[in-house]
Amino acid sequence: MLRKRCAGPLLLVLLTVTGCQLTQSAFSRTVGNAGAVFSAASTTLSYAHEGKITSAYAQASFVNYQSELDGLDQQLPSQQGAPDKRTVQHLLDLYRPAIQAALNRASQAFLMAGG
Amino acid sequence: MKKWLSITLGIVTATGGFLDAGTIATSGESGARFGLGLIWACLIATVAIILLVEMMGRFSAISKKTYAEAIRENFGFKFYLLPLLSEVIAESILLAAEIGGIAIALSLMTGISWRILFPPAAFLVFAMAWRAPFDWIENAPALLGLVTLSFIVGIIALGGPSHQLLSTLWKPEVKQGELADYLYLVAATLGATISPYLLYFYSSGAREEHWTSNSLLLNRVTAIVGMSFGSLGSIALIFLGAMVLQPLNMQGSSLGELGLSMAKALGPFGALLFAVALFATCLGAALEVVLGVSYNIAQGFGWEWGEDKKPVEAARFNLVLIIFLLVAVAIGLMGIDPLQLALAGSTVIALFLPISLFPFLVLMNDPQYLRDKTNGRFSNIAIICILLIAFVVAFVSIPLEILSGGG
Repeated sequence: MLRKRCAGPLLLVLLTVTGCQLTQSAFSRTVGNAGAVFSAASTTLSYAHEGKITSAYAQASFVNYQSELDGLDQQLPSQQGAPDKRTVQHLLDLYRPAIQAALNRASQAFLMAGG
Repeated sequence: MKKWLSITLGIVTATGGFLDAGTIATSGESGARFGLGLIWACLIATVAIILLVEMMGRFSAISKKTYAEAIRENFGFKFYLLPLLSEVIAESILLAAEIGGIAIALSLMTGISWRILFPPAAFLVFAMAWRAPFDWIENAPALLGLVTLSFIVGIIALGGPSHQLLSTLWKPEVKQGELADYLYLVAATLGATISPYLLYFYSSGAREEHWTSNSLLLNRVTAIVGMSFGSLGSIALIFLGAMVLQPLNMQGSSLGELGLSMAKALGPFGALLFAVALFATCLGAALEVVLGVSYNIAQGFGWEWGEDKKPVEAARFNLVLIIFLLVAVAIGLMGIDPLQLALAGSTVIALFLPISLFPFLVLMNDPQYLRDKTNGRFSNIAIICILLIAFVVAFVSIPLEILSGGG
């Protein structure tokens, strides 16, 4: 009887304590999120070229993508679960030109198109 | 004839008013990340809200009291402060998210940053809550919100889900390390749909419209048919996210991203429909949240209240409304993404659900209020089970999300 009563709270405690096994590391999560945002930005750009969305829609979306990606280069190296410095540096080498070239330019182009 | 007209209007408003920033955020992200693997949570939440709305309407129609009045009367003032506090914390986050949702919808239509549009969106909510009569607040955004049904058209235009995707309905694909995210979304889905503000608003609305025992049919049809149709919009968003965003490795982490699935299906018109749906549902929900909390406080403290009264006749009710709006605006101006706010707000609501709804279960079994219309055993057991699921899942997922640096 006592075992049955304890099972629920015990499971909760176990799930909470072993949280690191049930979740991704902060680094994996941040990198995954950033990848998804880059994918969204790329899709938005191609939909805008294909005329599937208006320039206003794309412009508003890019403002959000940019704010989601801002500061990633400062966050990544210090996050829990980060791999060796070389791997992080490789990701940052890809990130910086991508954010500067693609997002900034796209955002500015849409801003200009929108007047 | 008049009776059937009001029943039709009840169904239409419940259908159009079902979605809000929380349900849009959770549905879109659920579909994008876990395919159709969270539709079960959406269905459970729909059953729960049908039961709760039906009970709440029945309670107010028979007892001629609102939920907040009855809590205070039956449990005393000190106890009343407990659900009130949980309500104020959770709903202030949610109100900021709803106003943010309106701003993002306007942003997607105009291209202007949502941060610039946030204060005008808050002013729109204030102006409507301050001066519009109750039937306007109840019906206008909900009628406009019927465009959410266009999400179903979007699914058909995309050719429907593949067999592989359909298998995730009963076999969710949860990758290693994503269980916490999955649970977090289960809690958020339940919290987003079973929102106590809806119950305070519905109960006060029943009194504003002078419901009696003759209104029980209207109440039942509105709850069952309206809410069932309304949940179709939510389920359709899960399908759209799973069909369009998931194959592109997108996570549905911003509201504009969710609209891309409608753009793929119907072109720029689809994207516009998404923005209009977002605007209408968030406006309707923002009004319901701000009024729900204001009703709650005014009724609990025994002040004059009523949306159809002039502000001077219900001064403290209107003052609460303004203060609560200002709190939400302050939260919104911190610059947190409204979609993240909506997810967080919905999870906090799930955590507080037992506190918010425990008094309700007691009241629904009290013949002093309901005479021979008290709850049956099935309704009681169903609601208790659903509340416990929501609480346990939220209790587990929130620490997990914090541990992993998310949430």
